[in-house]
Amino acid sequence: MRKIDKVIWKETGYIALWVLILSLLMEAVFLLIKKWDYTVLTGNLLSAFVGILNFFLMGVFLTKALEKDEKTAKQATKLSQVFRMFLIFVVTVVGVLLDCFNTWAVVIPLIFPRIGIALRPLFNKKKKGATEGVATEIDSEKAPETFEEREDKRDDVFDDKQPDIASIEMTEEKSEVDTED
Amino acid sequence: MLEIAIGIILGCCALGAGVAMIAGIGPGIGEGNAVAKACEAIGRQPECKGSVTTTMLMGCAVAETTGLYALIIAILLIFVAPNLLVNLLMSVIG
Repeated sequence: MRKIDKVIWKETGYIALWVLILSLLMEAVFLLIKKWDYTVLTGNLLSAFVGILNFFLMGVFLTKALEKDEKTAKQATKLSQVFRMFLIFVVTVVGVLLDCFNTWAVVIPLIFPRIGIALRPLFNKKKKGATEGVATEIDSEKAPETFEEREDKRDDVFDDKQPDIASIEMTEEKSEVDTED
Repeated sequence: MLEIAIGIILGCCALGAGVAMIAGIGPGIGEGNAVAKACEAIGRQPECKGSVTTTMLMGCAVAETTGLYALIIAILLIFVAPNLLVNLLMSVIG
């Protein structure tokens, strides 16, 4: 079995955490409006599991697609999307049709990963601020060169490494003479 | 007459579900483009693979939500809405 990328585990963990928090919140709302029964819990569990699984599968398929060339990656992604949509469709239909699952408790948690992603920038602000602080401490003398300076340097290196055209022509003529002899 | 009304309700629900699923086409194309560009970016700067993958995953998840909304609406229109509307019709007729 192929090893799964660390990034996928990390991001899936993040999404799972948000789904858990929002699921608890949803259960609390159901309790508050006095509509809570075991079907809400089972529906929530089913839907939350499928939401997390969908994200995880997306990560696995996409990282696999990244190793292919552009055109194949596009096609593989479309195929994976269709597959995952079908999975969600089947699970949601089962959740809606069977009486042991509450319809709304099945449908609502499917959008929890999106809410988690939408809330992400709010919690990343602190991190971003810290990075900016580090950036201001960089010594200006050691700062990277400008684009023009780099271009000039590259041109100089290129000129140095360029072989002498006249000498090449001379050797070609010499080799031709040798072959004629 | 009642049968025709119920037929119209069911037909409209099915039509609505079909129209809603048109939104399912977009995420596939969007995700495909995102991955293609990510391939290009990683090819250009392989050392940025981690950050490119994270950003791509989040972008794809966001793009896919549109399709999920459409799917949910379609499922509700097929399995939940007809019962509700027919019951409503029955209660109106009495």
